[in-house]
Amino acid sequence: MLNIAKNLYEYRELVAELTRKDVTIRYKQAYLGIAWAVLRPLALMLIFTLVKSFVGIESGDIPYPILTFAALMPWVFFQDATTEGIESVVKNSALVRKIYFPREIFPLTAVTTKLVEFCISAFILAGLMVWYQMVPTVYILWVPLIILYTLLVSMTLALIGAAINVSYRDVGTALPIMLSLLMYASPVIYPLQLVKDKLLVQQAAGEWSNLLYTIYTLNPLAGIIDSFQNVVLRSQLPDFSSMLPGMIMTAILLPLSYRFFKMEEPYFADVI
Amino acid sequence: MSIIEVNHVSKEYRLGTLTSLKDSAVNMVRRLRRQPAIQRTPFRALDDMDFSIEQGEVVGIIGNNGAGKSTLLKLLANVTTPTNGSIAVRGKVAPLIEVGAGLIADLTGRENIYLNATILGISRADIARKFDEIVSFSELEDFIDTPIKRYSSGMKIRLAFAIATSVNAEILIIDEVLAVGDLAFQRKCFERMENLIKNSGNTVLIVSHNIRQIERMCSRVLLLDQGKVAADGLPLDVADMFYRRSNEKISADHKKSLQGKVHKYSSGEIELLAVDLINDQEQITDTIPSGGTLRVRVKFQVNQALQRPEIIVGTHTTDFFYLSASSTALIENRPDLDVGIHEVDYIVPSFPLVAGTYCVRFAVFDQHQRKVFTGETLKIFTILPTSQDVLDAPMRRLYLPTQWRLDGVAHSSPTPVSTETASA
Repeated sequence: MLNIAKNLYEYRELVAELTRKDVTIRYKQAYLGIAWAVLRPLALMLIFTLVKSFVGIESGDIPYPILTFAALMPWVFFQDATTEGIESVVKNSALVRKIYFPREIFPLTAVTTKLVEFCISAFILAGLMVWYQMVPTVYILWVPLIILYTLLVSMTLALIGAAINVSYRDVGTALPIMLSLLMYASPVIYPLQLVKDKLLVQQAAGEWSNLLYTIYTLNPLAGIIDSFQNVVLRSQLPDFSSMLPGMIMTAILLPLSYRFFKMEEPYFADVI
Repeated sequence: MSIIEVNHVSKEYRLGTLTSLKDSAVNMVRRLRRQPAIQRTPFRALDDMDFSIEQGEVVGIIGNNGAGKSTLLKLLANVTTPTNGSIAVRGKVAPLIEVGAGLIADLTGRENIYLNATILGISRADIARKFDEIVSFSELEDFIDTPIKRYSSGMKIRLAFAIATSVNAEILIIDEVLAVGDLAFQRKCFERMENLIKNSGNTVLIVSHNIRQIERMCSRVLLLDQGKVAADGLPLDVADMFYRRSNEKISADHKKSLQGKVHKYSSGEIELLAVDLINDQEQITDTIPSGGTLRVRVKFQVNQALQRPEIIVGTHTTDFFYLSASSTALIENRPDLDVGIHEVDYIVPSFPLVAGTYCVRFAVFDQHQRKVFTGETLKIFTILPTSQDVLDAPMRRLYLPTQWRLDGVAHSSPTPVSTETASA
């Protein structure tokens, strides 16, 4: 563990430089430049708001557009970071074949790159908060921790996915599809409160309700999205009970994923 | 303690494409049934390689394509791991494997300098310090803020070389980077490399096909052949051996391709039995030193007596360019050929052609100029390079014994010595 941290510290300049490269080349010859980074969550927000006006989703006392945008921010970060992370090693095959540095730098850089875009969409969120006259409270200081946790969840998937993707490119194609399905199993379009009410309060699934809720929250994004909305919009502490199952799962899977990645690492240059 | 130790290292690659899903499934079923899985033939890129390199040595690595040079460098740079054996590298390695691996087309020269240098392990502070020097060395002052996709290929190579050679590490690994750009820049690169090597006292490994540069820069040379260390020693000795091996390979290839190209015509009166090259010790050979004696012995059976026939023996190149031909037509009292076996020797005291592969032709005409026998590519032989050829790429087709008169004083250039005698 300490070794990993030391390694990362040693290669911090490389991560920074590769991130800078990724961000620059992505928007270099685009007229709108980095504005594209926020266009997707913004567009999704508008669509969801439109859909909501037909179906009617209970959003509590918070305006639906800002609620769903606050859900989309960590979600889009997670989805993009994971997708890019999985493809990162293959995308850099020229470097993989020539120069050695710890290969986890690639998924890590991909994830960090998305962090930059996350920060840009934070400006949009701030704009929305001004529009709806919401004032941030001290709870907003939880955001870095929540995002760090999201980053770890992304890395869990990205490390194992990137390693498999070196031999079987199917992963790089299949995972984005699976992730977009996962969005519906995460409280992005609807707030977590809705699931809570249905399962914990109304016990809609009878004796299975509590178990179902635990399974639902095994998805780390359930807790992440809800907590993000809590600390930014609701001026509340994160809901730890809904975060716990996902956290336990990540704590078990991340080391396994890392070990798998390191086990495969020596063969990257041969099979890529 | 050696800075690099390679202990009985082998590296295998599996040939063929990635296993298909079907093959993987078939193999899995076989394994479950405890039957051996279908294996693809492995290819041994390195085969039990074993050597060590001391601190401060400048080691050249030479060998034909596919000898395992790049694989070895990859293993030393930790890009890939050996199948068997172990490698110990004690120190920071800066691999300059293929200049320009990390250049990004969309970034400007400036951005690429920072990126590529960081990838090579130079700290940001160091890059900032060396930045101006890198730019001025690559002669790109006016273009440094232009995306490098607008650069000419020469500009890209100059930039990459300048970045790569600003690395300061205990072990430098250089692959094929010496011959870059136009002549003037090549010279500059070469000087920079030499400075880097001589002044740093670092351990350097160079892979190149330019044997002369290797000879000049290295203190030791490894010759690789089919994944093995074929020779390890002083640059001149190893380079010499390499040249000899290459020549042998070239002439072997030539021979193979010429095998089917024997052109023969016979009227039936003469049957060819043997065409051989005879050396000074009266032994059959197929190599002679440049400038040495060429002695061709032709043995043939005459089925019908010929009166005063004309015999021609000559040489031609592998692409059938006739080089020499000598005829017995001018010999006044040349004999008749009776029925039976005859032997003719054709001797050129000093055959003046440079190293290469040549062929013998033979023809017999009767006294009325009627064609009795002609044949080409009857014998293929090799002329060995002189030690002088080893040093200079031969800029000539012929070797002629020469005399010089410099300011009225007579000098004679030394007789070329064949590598065979030189190394004996």
